[in-house]
Amino acid sequence: MKKREAIGALRARRLFLRRIGGAAAVASAAAAAGTAGLVGKAAAKSGAAAAEKSFPTPDYDWTKRQWAFGVDATKCIGCLRCVEACKVENEVPLTAHHFRTWVERYVYLEGENRPRVDSHADPVNIAASGSEREYRFANRYQDAKVEKAFFVPKLCNQCEHPPCVQVCPVGATYKAKDGVVLIDHEYCIGCRYCVQACPYGARFFNEEKGVTEKCTWCYHRITKGLQPACVEACPVGARVFGDRNDKQSPISLFIRNNRVQALKPETGNEPNVYYIGIDKAVS
Amino acid sequence: MPKHVVRLLILLGAGLAVGLIAKWLFTAESFYEFGHYRADSVAEIAAQEPVFQTSAYCQSCHVERHVQWSANNHKTVTCETCHGAAEGHPQKGKLPIPADTRKLCSLCHERMAERPRTQPQIDLAQHGAGQQCATCHNPHAPKLAGVVAKVSGDAAAGRKKHAESCASCHGTNGISPNDTWPNLAGQNAAYLVRILAAYKSGAQTDVMMSPMAQTLGDGDIQNLAAYYAGLSCKAPVSEKAAGDAAAGKALAQNCAACHGETGVATNPAWPQLAGQKAVYLANTLKAFRAGLRKDPMMAGVVRGLSDADIANLAAYYAAQSCEPRPKVRKTS
Repeated sequence: MKKREAIGALRARRLFLRRIGGAAAVASAAAAAGTAGLVGKAAAKSGAAAAEKSFPTPDYDWTKRQWAFGVDATKCIGCLRCVEACKVENEVPLTAHHFRTWVERYVYLEGENRPRVDSHADPVNIAASGSEREYRFANRYQDAKVEKAFFVPKLCNQCEHPPCVQVCPVGATYKAKDGVVLIDHEYCIGCRYCVQACPYGARFFNEEKGVTEKCTWCYHRITKGLQPACVEACPVGARVFGDRNDKQSPISLFIRNNRVQALKPETGNEPNVYYIGIDKAVS
Repeated sequence: MPKHVVRLLILLGAGLAVGLIAKWLFTAESFYEFGHYRADSVAEIAAQEPVFQTSAYCQSCHVERHVQWSANNHKTVTCETCHGAAEGHPQKGKLPIPADTRKLCSLCHERMAERPRTQPQIDLAQHGAGQQCATCHNPHAPKLAGVVAKVSGDAAAGRKKHAESCASCHGTNGISPNDTWPNLAGQNAAYLVRILAAYKSGAQTDVMMSPMAQTLGDGDIQNLAAYYAGLSCKAPVSEKAAGDAAAGKALAQNCAACHGETGVATNPAWPQLAGQKAVYLANTLKAFRAGLRKDPMMAGVVRGLSDADIANLAAYYAAQSCEPRPKVRKTS
């Protein structure tokens, strides 16, 4: 509880400083005659946009949605169809070490207190699939005495307070009004601060394009009324997606009907991916 | 004000002006529209074209497939999960039909302790004898046991009908006197119902059987099936078959999943092969191979069989004992 209060205080201070800074900037801009065009331009444009049409597309208004994602780890079978679908949908490099979403396997063997964790990028699993372009979990524990085991799909948490956005020096990543954290590949300079800042390892650097990439919940799909590709491809319904503003959407029901948890709540990032069926070793 | 301070102020002012003009020039139009980012990038990202098209897209052309798929167990597995993303299809060409189904299906169905127990799983080493999954399972309707016909016939009535219509060819006790005609005694009732109904409807044709079956009512079929299923399948060993039973035994591994190791079927939907007439078995297999008898599962299985393979298989099954009777699941 103390931690939460501390975070709250920090945030209040940050907001205060931002306001002071903003006021100072406005004052100095006004003082410098002839250079006020910048502020005027931005203010005029935002006013016009809000009045006229929906943004970012004519059919989709980002102020009307509040997207969230659910993961039911009790259903996941580790088939990795989501990982392949994501790569095809988003043109992610077809190597084992570049991915926007991934699946982790947690295996507790008898007599061991800590789980053995691997993902599709583990060398044993790459060997089992036979190629870095295909993904499969090797049946490596078939002869072991397994006490408890499960798969956990992971992806960008689209945090309420994203640390990756905070560290970007050029304004190339931001939180959209519908809750998704996006990356502007035109503006990204490839400094990789955000890759370091993400506590979930959700971002990676695309060497071919020279920019950072991450899961966008398939923003180009959800703005057209489709489901994200991983949700579409999942054969067992382990991934749930929807709009929290709609009380009957799959995600609203998922959150309401289950005792959900988020990953690393202590960071204060307030993730928007809700999990059920994981245990404390998952973070 | 001292001169040097004025100069300094002019210099600072010029620097500030250059800086602000540069920022104004180099900052994109839509930057700051909603915050410290370029608003146009949201629209750019939203404008990307989806690659996965959803099963509704496939439905518009593949109507029958869609009906079958959406009524069966794989309805939660979308078309594109197995066939790949449909972007550009059909303009750019066909989507792949997965060839190595043993690899593809095992992604979800290989037995692993990590998987939830509700997931149907198999031991790859012990299931299907290394055959492709699609040989026996239709990927769009994967469950096999769903086709067991209902049997509720009266054996006594069946006996009467048998004596009237069938006994002359299939033998007084359902043991055929001729090698080309099948023994019926001890055959699975559900299989008999299915096959007689197929002859009656014309789904399967035979010079002799089609006209015979067309005279049968649904009740007759039920009664006959019940009668034959109750007879003893013990038959005198027929003359030596043409094939090599030992070679047939090796081949029969591929049939064991459905027909049992020695031809005693594990499921009432499938026929008993043990002790059946060798010539009849060979003819039937050849009919499947030629497409004269239609069955999606058998068509896949016999595709690669040579005449010699068929003779060997027939010899193997003909030489097997049909006893003990299998524990056939009760069908009510």
